[in-house]
Amino acid sequence: MGPLGREAWTQRLGAFRASPSAFLAGAEGEDLGRDLLSDLRSEKLSEQTKVSLLTLSLEYSDKLWPDAPAAEAAATSLLDTLVLLPTRPSALRRLLLLAATTALVSGDALGPTSGASCRLLPLLLGLASGRDLGRSFGTPSEQRHLQATACECLGELERCKPGLLAGALGMLRSLPGQTGPIQPVSLLLALVLHDTLVVQSRSGAGLQGLLVAEDFSTGSYPWDWTLAEEWDAHLKPQGPSWPTAGEEERGFPVLEPSPEDTRELKAAVAQLLDTSYLLTPVAQAQLLWLLGWALRGLRGQPPVLFKPQLVRLLGTAQLTLLHSVLSLKAAFGEALFTAQDEALLLRRLTLGAQHPALPSPTHLFYLHCILSFPENCPLGPEGEEAAPLLLGPQLCRGLMPSLLHDPMVLLARLHLLCLLCADDEEEEKDQTQGPQWFLQEVLAGLQQRAALDGGPRALATLCFQASYLVTNCLTRHSTVQTSLIRGLAQLYRARPSLAPHFVDLLDQVSPELREPLREVLLQEAVARPGESEALCWHLQMLAKVAEGATQSTTLSFLQAAAVHCTDWGLHQALLRVCRALLRTGGGDGLADLLQELARQLENADGRDHARLYYVLLSHLSSSKLGMALGPSLAAPALASSLMAENQGFSSALMVQETSAPIQLSVGPQQAKGPLPVLCLQVQALDAPVYSLELRFRVEGQLYEPLEAVHIPCLRPGQPAHPLYLLLQPRCPAPARLHVRALYSTSAGLTCHARLPPLSVNFADLFLPFPQLPKGSELRFFDELWNSCLPKGVESRVWCPLGPQGLEALVSQYLEPFVVLAQPPTTYLIAIRLPPASMLLLRLEKAQVDGVPVALRTDDWAVLPLVGDYLRGLAAH
Amino acid sequence: MALRAVWLIRHEPGTPLGGTVRFSRRYPTVEKRAKVFNGMTYVPVPEDGPFLRALLFQLRLLDDDKDFIERRDGCSHLNKTSIYGLSVGGEELWPVIAFLRDSMIYASVPLVEQALSPRPPLISISGVSQGLELLLGIQDFLYSSQKNDTDLHTKLSQLPDLLLQACPLGTLLDANLQNSLNSINSVSVTQPQKQPAWKVGAYKGKAQISISITETVKCMQYGKQDIADTWQVAGTVACKCDLEGVMPAVTISLSLPTNGSPLQDIIVHPCVTSLDSAILTSSSIDTMDDSAFSGPYKFPFTPPLESFNLCHYTSQVPVPPILGSYHMKEEGVQLKVTVNFKLHESVRNNFEVCEAHIPFYNRGPITHLEYKASFGQLEVFREKSLLVWIIGQKFPKSMEISLSGTLTFGVKGHNKQPFDHICIGNTAYIKLNFRIADYTLTGCYADQHSVQVFASGKPKISAYRKLISSDYYIWNSKAPAPVTYASLLP
Repeated sequence: MGPLGREAWTQRLGAFRASPSAFLAGAEGEDLGRDLLSDLRSEKLSEQTKVSLLTLSLEYSDKLWPDAPAAEAAATSLLDTLVLLPTRPSALRRLLLLAATTALVSGDALGPTSGASCRLLPLLLGLASGRDLGRSFGTPSEQRHLQATACECLGELERCKPGLLAGALGMLRSLPGQTGPIQPVSLLLALVLHDTLVVQSRSGAGLQGLLVAEDFSTGSYPWDWTLAEEWDAHLKPQGPSWPTAGEEERGFPVLEPSPEDTRELKAAVAQLLDTSYLLTPVAQAQLLWLLGWALRGLRGQPPVLFKPQLVRLLGTAQLTLLHSVLSLKAAFGEALFTAQDEALLLRRLTLGAQHPALPSPTHLFYLHCILSFPENCPLGPEGEEAAPLLLGPQLCRGLMPSLLHDPMVLLARLHLLCLLCADDEEEEKDQTQGPQWFLQEVLAGLQQRAALDGGPRALATLCFQASYLVTNCLTRHSTVQTSLIRGLAQLYRARPSLAPHFVDLLDQVSPELREPLREVLLQEAVARPGESEALCWHLQMLAKVAEGATQSTTLSFLQAAAVHCTDWGLHQALLRVCRALLRTGGGDGLADLLQELARQLENADGRDHARLYYVLLSHLSSSKLGMALGPSLAAPALASSLMAENQGFSSALMVQETSAPIQLSVGPQQAKGPLPVLCLQVQALDAPVYSLELRFRVEGQLYEPLEAVHIPCLRPGQPAHPLYLLLQPRCPAPARLHVRALYSTSAGLTCHARLPPLSVNFADLFLPFPQLPKGSELRFFDELWNSCLPKGVESRVWCPLGPQGLEALVSQYLEPFVVLAQPPTTYLIAIRLPPASMLLLRLEKAQVDGVPVALRTDDWAVLPLVGDYLRGLAAH
Repeated sequence: MALRAVWLIRHEPGTPLGGTVRFSRRYPTVEKRAKVFNGMTYVPVPEDGPFLRALLFQLRLLDDDKDFIERRDGCSHLNKTSIYGLSVGGEELWPVIAFLRDSMIYASVPLVEQALSPRPPLISISGVSQGLELLLGIQDFLYSSQKNDTDLHTKLSQLPDLLLQACPLGTLLDANLQNSLNSINSVSVTQPQKQPAWKVGAYKGKAQISISITETVKCMQYGKQDIADTWQVAGTVACKCDLEGVMPAVTISLSLPTNGSPLQDIIVHPCVTSLDSAILTSSSIDTMDDSAFSGPYKFPFTPPLESFNLCHYTSQVPVPPILGSYHMKEEGVQLKVTVNFKLHESVRNNFEVCEAHIPFYNRGPITHLEYKASFGQLEVFREKSLLVWIIGQKFPKSMEISLSGTLTFGVKGHNKQPFDHICIGNTAYIKLNFRIADYTLTGCYADQHSVQVFASGKPKISAYRKLISSDYYIWNSKAPAPVTYASLLP
């Protein structure tokens, strides 16, 4: 396909962006990456179109070239395109460098064996160091512009393969003093310094003069991948991360560099910090994170180097900058922040959380930072949000919630208020205007707003979220809890349509609140019987809060309500309450009500339902009822309400069809006794199985019906349970047994499973003749032999022998049935075939690959089976 | 410290999707790292369609408020920051930074350089502040000096190129997109070594500095014995310095008259090079006394090219500029209202605008009105149930004005009259809007003679001042009103 025009590309890129996965799955999907690369070199396309192609590749290189070979080829092609660009300045150079970097990283192609990597890295380093790379990379002035881009690309490569640039540390160190933009070079140096220090401290090596090695090769020698590979081998990539609890316990690895390295390191860090104000705020923040966490593990590197920057940074309240100061705080603690400094930082944070000049997302983030503040001497458990010790009520004054705030601000501030109240150990008695009193005011306001008829759901949600927050933080504050419960009861009275919110709240809160709240809500719900719009909500509420113990009021409410339940939905709601009562105890009144409903309800479904509940109530013990109607395991979505009945109910009362819980295998046969016995091994697979009953069915009724087998208990991991199955053949023939298992699970459910069928082989039916007195064997055999004819048949069969020979074959398969043996020439074998047949074999002198067998049987029907059996012996 | 993706979504209520993605950008190299860092807990960044749906649902911006949906309305799903977990394709994408401003949703997913389960605290994720900063930067760029929709459209079309400058590989280089725009436009200028990264290019032309101080005053007046009125002044000092040279140094001092109110809670622009500790510690948290630092407040800095906010402050002035009282009572079917305003004598009696909005929420349209105003005119918006009292440029000599009247309301129409969840029953407020030029409540001013400039040429210095009201409420004293904690303190 020739190069597409601008229009066509615009359309194609638009279609791709709309849904990359759909586009790639489509007809054109496969070609996109290839077309894009080739059209970059087309002279017909404008630079603007090529820019849009490259922008797309930057964004979706992982989709366009998903695997390493494709990414490698793409990066090579991009680098070729770069070389082929005409000398004049072009916007494409920067993008091509970025695109090649992105392709290599996202396609996982970066590495010593990748040709494109080995071309890109020296090129980037050359550009970054400000060397003139010749006219093929544009004019010298353009090359200087590319210096920043090269630093950014190198930085990205280093981030994805830490240690990659460790060898270039010395060279990078010399850059900030020379020409070129300050920010890219500083950031790159800080990043490489961080990675190198972290990898060195983890591996226990020193800096080994990396900081002062000036003459780094950029092209004439192969790239040094050792540190990057060392990192790969030992560690995951490491961002400048907050300390985790585990890390603290293990002790952060500490590196002790040589005095010379220490001096150099100090100078490098000081230089970076001194010029840091020239960086954009976001870049300054990155620099501080990197340097802070790099120096954290170093002995003899006092963090005082950072001190001169702090006042300037604290003055700004800029989000990224203050966040980076907090990261320094977390990294160094008391070593960098005295108690006064800590207090100042907290004050600035408090200020940032409410300053009118800052936007709300910033306020909220600062508020979070206050509650996760890295204190010098934390008291509470780690990882839990808490108000820092230094944050007294005075500091928090401006951070109190008000109904005028938007929901998120309100919740965040309410949380802080709760924490303050929780700290206030002594419950306020006569103080009418303390934090607790204010908290109750806020809650009352929220409840009042939620009660507004027709108000948006968001207001109700906010009220319940606030209630949840308060109960979680203030479990032991009885005054708050009491007033909260009272307020919620009022809210329900005013707006019963919030029932789903109440049900959700009851599900979430701790038992200390749940029980009193449940009781209050029950009273509220039953207090207003009769016809009303709220009936369906009251019923929904009762289904949650009704319990057997307080049945009488509930029952009279239901009785009154039943008259007004005119549609299917209300019937169902009513029955759900009955069901809740059934679950928690049932009772006489309930039986009457159910009977009444079974007669009176208008639709058949409802009547059936009521009747079913009545039957359950009158037939099941209360514990079984509780289990039968317990919470469902999965919500069935069926149309009929009877069918839609809770799965817990059906599973407890009905047999569940499941996959096989046990493994059944046929064990070695024991040919003895009057009848053949099938020896089985039973093992539980994943879960214990109780009261197992195995039922067998013989295919074709070849044997008498088999008795079911019972096993009390099987547990996984226990040795196989042996099982002897007495077979009573009606004719001597192999058969298939179908097996079904009926069992109980540990949850008390009864289950049914079909197991794979078992095969009873012909040989499984073999039984020996009784033991004969010594000397009489030959005569006995001859008598049998003669008795077979004329009723039976005689035949000769060639039995092939494997490498093991005749003797081994006989001892392995026919030993119990040998009447007389004269090895190696003759074996006389007599086999009983229940119910009333026999098989006699004369094995004659073995030849090279087999043995001729003369056989007689009184049942001609077994002849083909015998043939198959004998011919199959060697194959075993 | 990097971002996995950025989105800009226009919220369009009433449309089938509820919004459209106006811009999105993904960073595959960062995604690669996310996969390694997050390990088993990694959730890929979804395509635009599913992301849009999940985000609008989470932000409650879909019009399906009718039913209770546990995933959104459940009481334990507390959101206390602008950072969300979105349910996408059965998995939870977290953390997603998102906020809505002027019907635009700004969203971004920062890289978390560790496993996501258990969730690490947000404070430990450097990408959170970086992502928020970028989104706020985009918002600033889109809405600063934006005049109309065409403007916005132009700016939106510039975003892909700007992000290529400001965040080419997912690591944010500059959140100030105006600066990135300058850098695209000045690509041929060679940067000298010591040039700050936040200042691309150099100014050529006549030297001039403009300093404008804008103060806004917020107020809550209750007219009650047991609830204290509250008010607060917040100031912003905006600067534009047109000076030649790479790093011209400027020092601006803010001064107060002898009876001025000290500036507090000062936050400065990052270009300010040093800060007096008295400036850093003066805070509204402390109780005021005479020993409070009252200036001059010196700010030495190197200015960026564009206009910028040198500093913000707050202050506690002794009295609110306009004292008001509002009585509203229901008498039968009628509503009786009495309003009084008194301008404080110290305030400059020369308004650009001064008007009082008197809304009547949760009622029907105004069907009948009789009133008497001692001053100014009253505009009546019957359908909106709103009165606007236009006070004009000056208060009369007595400095006191009043309005009284009776109103009756019709039957509440469906969605025609405004709903408010604060103004329930007789809870009601008046909102005062006013603007006074060449005046600050604190008295704060920039002394032109004290501006020090270390650059070639003597600049022309101009200074402006302005006072604007914002959230200036007078509550009906005859009904409960939403109180703040501060107004309850003795």
